[in-house]
Amino acid sequence: MNRTIERMRNIGISAHIDSGKTTLTERILYYCKKIHRIHEVKGKDGGGATMDYMELERERGITITSATTNVTWNGHSINIIDTPGHVDFTIEVERSLRVLDGAILVLCSVGGVQSQTLTVDKQLKRYKVPALAFINKLDRIGANPFKVKSQINEKLGRRAALLQIPIGLEDKFQGVVDLIRMKALYFDGANGEIVREEEIPPELEDEVWQYREELLDTVSLFSDELTEAILEDRVSEELLIKAIRRGTISREFTPIFLGSAYRNKGVQPLLDGVVNYLPDPSEVENIALDLDQNEKPIVLKADTEAPCVAYAFKLEDGPYGQLTYIRIYQGSIRKGDELFNTRSKQKFKVGRVVRMHADHMEDIEGAIAGDIIALFGVDCASGDTICSPGLNYAMTSIYVPEPVISLAIEPADKTSADRLARALARFTKEDPTFRMYIDPESKQTIIQGMGELHLDVYIERMRREYRVEVTTGRPQVAYRETITTRADFDYTHKKQTGGAGQFGRVIGYIEPFDGNYEFVNEVKGGHIPREFIPSCDKGFQASLRKGQLIGSPVIGVRIVLTDGQFHPVDSSDIAFQLAAQGAFKQAYKKARPQILEPIMRVVVETPSEFSGNVFGSLNQRRGIIVSSIEDGVYSRIEAEVPLSEMFGYSTVLRSMTQGKAEFTMEFLKYGRVPANVAEQLMEEHQKKLEADGKK
Amino acid sequence: MLKKTLSSRSPIKVLEKNISGGVGPGNIGIFASRKGVGKTACLVQIALHRLFEEKPVIHVSYASRVDYIISWYEEIFKNLTTRENLKSAMEIHDRIVRNRVIMNFRQEGMKTEQVLKSLESLLGPGNFHARTIIVDGFNFYLPCAEDMALFKKFATDHQLEFWFSCSLKGEDPLFDEKGIPFVLKDYLDSIDVIITLEHDNSHVQLKLVKDHDQISNKKLKLQLDPQTLLLE
Repeated sequence: MNRTIERMRNIGISAHIDSGKTTLTERILYYCKKIHRIHEVKGKDGGGATMDYMELERERGITITSATTNVTWNGHSINIIDTPGHVDFTIEVERSLRVLDGAILVLCSVGGVQSQTLTVDKQLKRYKVPALAFINKLDRIGANPFKVKSQINEKLGRRAALLQIPIGLEDKFQGVVDLIRMKALYFDGANGEIVREEEIPPELEDEVWQYREELLDTVSLFSDELTEAILEDRVSEELLIKAIRRGTISREFTPIFLGSAYRNKGVQPLLDGVVNYLPDPSEVENIALDLDQNEKPIVLKADTEAPCVAYAFKLEDGPYGQLTYIRIYQGSIRKGDELFNTRSKQKFKVGRVVRMHADHMEDIEGAIAGDIIALFGVDCASGDTICSPGLNYAMTSIYVPEPVISLAIEPADKTSADRLARALARFTKEDPTFRMYIDPESKQTIIQGMGELHLDVYIERMRREYRVEVTTGRPQVAYRETITTRADFDYTHKKQTGGAGQFGRVIGYIEPFDGNYEFVNEVKGGHIPREFIPSCDKGFQASLRKGQLIGSPVIGVRIVLTDGQFHPVDSSDIAFQLAAQGAFKQAYKKARPQILEPIMRVVVETPSEFSGNVFGSLNQRRGIIVSSIEDGVYSRIEAEVPLSEMFGYSTVLRSMTQGKAEFTMEFLKYGRVPANVAEQLMEEHQKKLEADGKK
Repeated sequence: MLKKTLSSRSPIKVLEKNISGGVGPGNIGIFASRKGVGKTACLVQIALHRLFEEKPVIHVSYASRVDYIISWYEEIFKNLTTRENLKSAMEIHDRIVRNRVIMNFRQEGMKTEQVLKSLESLLGPGNFHARTIIVDGFNFYLPCAEDMALFKKFATDHQLEFWFSCSLKGEDPLFDEKGIPFVLKDYLDSIDVIITLEHDNSHVQLKLVKDHDQISNKKLKLQLDPQTLLLE
């Protein structure tokens, strides 16, 4: 088929975890004739949904890794990225969003806007992704798309209107009325593949006109032509579609579609919506930074003849080597082309180029700007920018949050250490929020990530994919230390007994600071020669890596060097580094140091009847309840809780609320640890030091 | 420390002196005025006064957005610290936030029983020992005699002080000859203190119209600066 840029769409499907996103994707693949049989998510028929291709995901009924797949609808080539819904995996979601031009925001017609929907919605807004809303599960008891619509307006703050209204609801849900073409649509055949168009059922006439008016009212904002047409009562289908498209692409309007993916209803009109309302790659502005011109922003042109700029957004280690998923922003890529990785400064030749369909692939000759494809055997990390030789651009880097939790792991038997190393190498390359290091003191392997579940999933994957059984320690929170008051230092480092001596004296003060670290040099009159100032800075920075309370990194310190002294022969780089370290040690204790812990913003969504229990459970965990919002049935409770108290909370919450509540959690800030906890931490640290000393 | 620096000079003290030491536990006070005169500013200052004393406060709101309420607190807090020239404002701010919970309800379909049940669960299992409850945005124009009686009973049972705002609307006159807003006349049994706010030249004048058992109609020596929204 002819892949021109106007006929290309790159979309993601973003949603709350149980809103039926994977089922929807499955149906889209089926109607686009990419798969020939429909599987259900939880693997009831042994197959498992096609997009959930990892065994683990199949078992848990969730989607963890974003697989991309290409489908064809109505002469348009659509790349779909299935994005994970759980908050612990948001780096995956964010990476996917970076390369998307549009998204389908899936909502459950019963649950409506839930806390994770808000998270996902925020992400869509951050990456400026235009979106369609799909209210799913209209066949469920309690389905109320009108309520969900007003939640989209109020809770998400989106200007949205229904493009369809339902024909019947719950077990009587039969189809939808299209408010643009003014036709009733029913979905026939064993799998709903035949769309039957009928006249609007007479009993719905009033409602249909009411919502059509609302739709016209809302979208007339985006087209003067349409406003005129409304006044003259000659609104054409074409005019209306144009106005909706304009509103959607400018992200001022969100069209709402309805259906039940599970019952095979409403999916085809949604696909029409993707084609009609979401932008093609040329309609989205993408910016790269020119590394040769001091990171000057450059607007990329979706021109197939221009030099190539592409972005590697995902890596996968498969049985045939490393697979790199890339999005081409400018130019084109063909087999045999020479390309340049602007981070590693390495040139490479394009070997195999493939188009992905969940876990099988199609070999292609090349691809043009706007497309998403995968390359084989390219050595790069996710987040790298790939250009034609001659260009030195970087796509703006994705915001990568710092990990907040760490866990010591150890292979259960010595023979699997090798496989463990391979697994870790791969995971850290694939996921920038997953990190590992060897603790120099305990020699333990420590993995770090964004939450308990995040690390759990990787431990599972080690077991399944690499056959490595690991034993884990207790999850550890990433503590920090800081100072709370100003303290002076005056420290002389002196070693002048025989041979080359060492001498350096530093005078100044340390004080609390809003950022991480700042070094200010106010030494006058050359009391410390200029070449040794960086040595002092280096010495101070070395001290900050391990605080004296519990050995955690020290943040929020400004160091001001005011004076010093040197020796013409014995002063050296190392002497001033050691002087700085001594000075810091001297001042730190006086600066009333404190331990900080990560505080999480926790949002619990619970039926109101359990809100008392939830309040109690958060309070027990040293949480501060910030607010609670009730709409009659549900309460949304927002609290600030130390991460160290949140381990195992999902289990507690589940049993406390009969599984009806859920929560999301994200890093908010570092906060002071209360005195009693601090004492305990220092005691533990002391014990550890003693134990290490004995070894 | 905190108490001394701020509370002794606080206009809230002046206000409380005028109403026999405060609205008192088990009682309900109301600020009434037209929209946009400064009721919420008064409520927030009462809340902040309690928070400065390190006494927890629950702020119940019938509006739809928590961030909007938080920004009210931030604004008033900022103006207060500037006026009083407070040092270490950040630290005080942190302590204040710890003692404040905002609860948000939609009044349509939200029964007072439900609101009180939520309050109760926060006070009980939630272990949040508030003695002051601020209620903003409650609609007195819907029939609410029963609701007010429930609030009053709850206040008495738990020995809480309640401060409401009452938004007055419609055509003049809004007040009877004693200065009592017509809309509140049916609920006087449940209400202990009523203060009205009215524009008076460049300031907003506070008037005490009900002080526990007395109907008074007395001008308070308190004004609201429309610039800073602070009482003085």
